Amino acid sequence: MTKSAATAKALKRRPQGLVVLAAAGAATIVLAACGSTASAGSSHQQSHPPTHAPATAPAHSPAPTHAPTTAPAHSPAPTHAPTTAPAHSANPIPQGNGGDSDADNNGGPSDGDGNI
Amino acid sequence: MTDRIARRGWPALAAVAALAAVAVTVIVFAVPGRSPSGAFPVLHPAAAPASWPHLRLPNGTAVLSYPPSLRPIAGDTDAVSAARLSPGGGFQLYLNATPRQGAERLQDWAAFRLRLLRTDDAVSAHEISAAQGVTFRGGTGSCLIDGYVTRIGGHHYDEIACLVQGQTSASVIIAAAPAAQWAQARPQLLQAVAAYLVR
Repeated sequence: MTKSAATAKALKRRPQGLVVLAAAGAATIVLAACGSTASAGSSHQQSHPPTHAPATAPAHSPAPTHAPTTAPAHSPAPTHAPTTAPAHSANPIPQGNGGDSDADNNGGPSDGDGNI
Repeated sequence: MTDRIARRGWPALAAVAALAAVAVTVIVFAVPGRSPSGAFPVLHPAAAPASWPHLRLPNGTAVLSYPPSLRPIAGDTDAVSAARLSPGGGFQLYLNATPRQGAERLQDWAAFRLRLLRTDDAVSAHEISAAQGVTFRGGTGSCLIDGYVTRIGGHHYDEIACLVQGQTSASVIIAAAPAAQWAQARPQLLQAVAAYLVR
């Protein structure tokens, strides 16, 4: 009797082997799912860490005329310089003292507007 | 006889493998820092201390209370803002209230806010924690704590952003501080959010 024939015979004798195979497969799927979820979560957290200075030069952009307290030039120095604008940027309100001259168009905290 | 014992052992091995898979799953999800969301702090709605000034939304639908160390600052005409600035003019604390303007909804507020930040004035934004059904003075809201980096200047801010539904209208309250000062700023900002009054 050849070795493969013996193996086939052994499998026939041990149908429970299929159960183990199924369990192992399930475990593999679960682990794979965990890995993808965890990596998605961590990338979500990291969210494109900035690597270089912005293309625009906002550090000394003039302060809004009606907002004397919105002086982004003196805002706390970032621990990392920002990246350039991401590819998905719709940016309906111009930055760099543009648009409505809100603090958030000059590097200040974002307000609660609905992007109107 | 041995063969019989071996046959009986196979289901046991399968059970052990399945249990191991479950255990690994539990461990992976239980490790701190792996999940993008933590627990949003419990908000205890309460009137602000008597010494805190107030700013009423121009449409009269909400009142923002702010610590005395902050000063009102200009912003959108339909909104109110207050901030505490460093001697150099940088933001140390920032509060803002704005009427609901667009497609903000309680059920997907966190996603809306993050999307708005990313498409408006931030190069990146990430959720720290979020909650729905948060009780406010006069209403119920959905809240998000997130961190973002501004497109201009690359400033790192953390914020509490809540969409609050009152009896007649909805509005948004923002409470932000530089990420580096978030730990110190957070209690006072949470107190301001908890004091937010809507109609």
